[in-house]
Amino acid sequence: MGRVTRKNLFSIMALCAMVGLLLLPIVMALPSPATGEEAPTADGAKKDGDKVEKGRDVYYKTEGIVVGAPAPKTMDGPRDYPRYNFESRVLLWFANQQHLYYGSFVLAVPIFCMVIEFMGVMTKDKALAKRYDQLAYDFIKISLTAYSLTAILGGILIFTFLTLYPAFFGYLSSIFRPVMHIYALMFVAESGTLYVYYYGWDKMKEGFLKWIHLSMSVILNVIGTLLMMLANSWIGFMMSPAGVDEQGRFLGNIWHVIHTALWNPLNVHRLLGNMAFGGGVVAAYAAYKFLASKTDEDRAHYDWMGYIAMALGVAFLIPLPFAGYWLMREVYAYRQQMGITLMGGLLAWLFIIQATMIGILFLSTNYYLWQAMGRMRGAEKYQRYIKYLVFLLACGYLVFITPHTMVMTPAELKAMGGQQHPVLGNYGVMSAKNGGINVIITTTVLSFVWYMRGNKVSTVSWAKFGNIFMGVFFACAYINIIWLAIYGYYIPANVRVGLSVPQVATTLSCLFFMFALNSVMMKGAKQMGPIEWGKISVRSQYALIMLATAFTWMMGLMGYIRSSVRLFWHVNEIMRDNSPWAYTHTTGFAANMISFNVLFFWLSILFVFWLGSLAAKKAPVEAKAGVPGSVPQPAGSH
Amino acid sequence: MKALMSIGALVGVVGLLLLVGMIFDVIPSNTVRLVEGYMPFQMLLEFTCYVAGFAGLSYMASSIGMAIPRFWQGIGFWAFVLLYLKFRVYPPIPFSVRAMYGTVSLVAVFMWVSANEEDWKEFKRPIMNVLDASSGTNKLLRYAYLILLPIIIGGFSFNAMVPKSEEPIELRTVHPAPPASTKVHGKTFVLQTSQNPYRVNPEGKYDQEFTNANIVEQGMGRLMKPNANPWDEKNEGYLKYVREGGEIFFQNCHFCHGDNLNGRGLHAFAFNPIPANFTDPGTIAQLQETFIFWRVSKGGIGLPNEGFPWASVMPPWEQHLTVDEIWKVVLFEYWHTGYYPRTWD
Repeated sequence: MGRVTRKNLFSIMALCAMVGLLLLPIVMALPSPATGEEAPTADGAKKDGDKVEKGRDVYYKTEGIVVGAPAPKTMDGPRDYPRYNFESRVLLWFANQQHLYYGSFVLAVPIFCMVIEFMGVMTKDKALAKRYDQLAYDFIKISLTAYSLTAILGGILIFTFLTLYPAFFGYLSSIFRPVMHIYALMFVAESGTLYVYYYGWDKMKEGFLKWIHLSMSVILNVIGTLLMMLANSWIGFMMSPAGVDEQGRFLGNIWHVIHTALWNPLNVHRLLGNMAFGGGVVAAYAAYKFLASKTDEDRAHYDWMGYIAMALGVAFLIPLPFAGYWLMREVYAYRQQMGITLMGGLLAWLFIIQATMIGILFLSTNYYLWQAMGRMRGAEKYQRYIKYLVFLLACGYLVFITPHTMVMTPAELKAMGGQQHPVLGNYGVMSAKNGGINVIITTTVLSFVWYMRGNKVSTVSWAKFGNIFMGVFFACAYINIIWLAIYGYYIPANVRVGLSVPQVATTLSCLFFMFALNSVMMKGAKQMGPIEWGKISVRSQYALIMLATAFTWMMGLMGYIRSSVRLFWHVNEIMRDNSPWAYTHTTGFAANMISFNVLFFWLSILFVFWLGSLAAKKAPVEAKAGVPGSVPQPAGSH
Repeated sequence: MKALMSIGALVGVVGLLLLVGMIFDVIPSNTVRLVEGYMPFQMLLEFTCYVAGFAGLSYMASSIGMAIPRFWQGIGFWAFVLLYLKFRVYPPIPFSVRAMYGTVSLVAVFMWVSANEEDWKEFKRPIMNVLDASSGTNKLLRYAYLILLPIIIGGFSFNAMVPKSEEPIELRTVHPAPPASTKVHGKTFVLQTSQNPYRVNPEGKYDQEFTNANIVEQGMGRLMKPNANPWDEKNEGYLKYVREGGEIFFQNCHFCHGDNLNGRGLHAFAFNPIPANFTDPGTIAQLQETFIFWRVSKGGIGLPNEGFPWASVMPPWEQHLTVDEIWKVVLFEYWHTGYYPRTWD
């Protein structure tokens, strides 16, 4: 009893320490919000008489007292742009991208752990609870080595900034000085919390202590999310500066500098993106382990792990296009030019590549689900309809990737008789593309519903009516989405933009109502046979690897697009980039660079996986307890 | 079910015969017309009919004991997609887009034939038979592939590497990002906030809804709205300005942009690319009025760096027209095409 009490006490103390760590940066920031010195006040201004200079915020249009230096006007030379015999921008690109990959991964995985650990705590089935717990532990174990690499890459990134772009980084840090310190403290808090969370796993695995442990994961994720939001404020400022005047002089309000026009959409988009990416990487890890497995037991475990990771990743992938849509809307609202450069101008072709990648993500997901139906007895009844889903997906995908401006030789241009193709050119505009992506997502939802009921037969008395209702609901959803896409051609653009709302609402209705209805229908359903974990085709595992690679590639691409849209500005319209590299790379060069980053990330993360496997070899046998065949169905699947 | 599939099979046969006719140039592609205004939906609908037709054909073939092997179904469908895009759709689709579509359909075919283990095994069987040389014919085929495949791949490589004298591909930016503001005749116009001064209601106030209600009907025929004829001399306000814009258009612009505003004017085909087709939903329908005002004022020579390869010979009309005349022309272009200018509210 005494020992347990002491353990409880220590656990509560650890939890309090984490909360303290979480609050510490905020407390430290309070007395000196802006510059680390006394912030100038109106009274102070009066005392100094006329010497105080006021400036007008470029975004908020409020007046403030100038407390910072103007943005430096850089010149090409060793003072502002010291360099090696190589393009500094490419070095920075590489360092930044690798840090972001690892950063995203280590921020996403603890969220998964929290969800899975919570599912384990709530599950009444003890064997299943243990498996969930083990899965969460496996996840955090993978992220632990990646965490050190993230910190190292962060260091490399800062050194790259300091040594290759000293003038720009000096300016940025002069404005974000308190934020950067808070960021560093948050990082300390994150590290401390993560290590206690990981190393305390076994000691806090039951009863009250388990809840304390779960609370730690919540704090860990709050800190992680805040870290991400602070880092986002820097890129938000570079794209859509606020809190400074036209010369880039800081006006004393740090909240304005953080809370720029694009900060919130960036936060939401990145959070969802990180989660989808994290799910993809863990799913790829599971696929890799599945393919390398020597026993049925291992195959079953990693099959299940891959499924859970994929399901979590896709759960965040589905709302991701909508978050992206919001971000683009805000970009257009902030600067029309920026929006057109992105989606209609210089960078439009990169968006076609992005659409292609999004399509690959959904196609891979659907393919995995169809393959996964192969391990269920009774799912055969859906197999013959898969070709129609393929048709819907392919049509949606073709429309979604059709470029508005086609690549062609002058001879082809002449034969076509104009810049726009009279048939396919219509697929190149937003109205058609909204229809295309919503058809793809709705079809993915349908695949999920089929998967969820694969080996079951509903026993509720209204099963027939329920099935008809679901069929009609999906049919109406498709008709509504396609009809709105067509109708979009005949109405003003501002109304057309609004049409995306009912389209998205239709898709989300399918997602929520159909999942809910299906769950109700399948409650107490007759099982045609168990899910035979591990008995899935190897093609499915390659689909998971494809999914993860596409995520990684797309993240690299979107990061490049977001950064490139500033064109020749370090800080948009405030600080000009006067280095010799203030031009937009060709699409080919950018694609090669992204591929190189992706390749490097995957090679390095393979090393991380390998390190993880070394630790696993020493793990007690208990860790592999309770596997397949007998495996109860995971909550995420049914 | 059988009756339904029979109809499907009939549709499939007719469709295939038509396509074969188009491939061998016996039947011109436009025999079955792609109807203006409905082309994109028509193409998808045709495609759907073909798929339904193939499903019917497959069903009927199975029911008479002549099932088409899955391997040939997959290969055949992919070949159909490539041929349909090449020979059915007109004007010709650029190779880059056909390559994209071809790749996607190949992936789709793979997803279909490998969606479950039985289908995948069936699909692979002819390939495995050849690789295993399970019969004399297969053995012969294996040797043939052993010789032919390197030759074909080598041929493709040679073709890709051999120097060519064709004009290079141009990645044209049709709608480059506009500047924040533009100066025309000494006056600065902020593109995000400026408004067409002639887009007004009878009270003389800027009114999108009123003017939108008076544009021509979209779709085939482009009919004028009742009581909204700009050429009626009695009309004042918006419709009068449309008429004035029309007069300026026919005095200056229609030689290139055409009297239907479809980019097929008298001189159009002297240029490559031909002038912009305003009736296409991808041109002015996607843009703000101020964007058009900027483009008309500054012309091809005023395209920004981003507008590579600056393939436009449009004159900077600010040198020939007044600001008011440019706004009126823009007003007329939207009225005539039946499109609404983009707004951000």
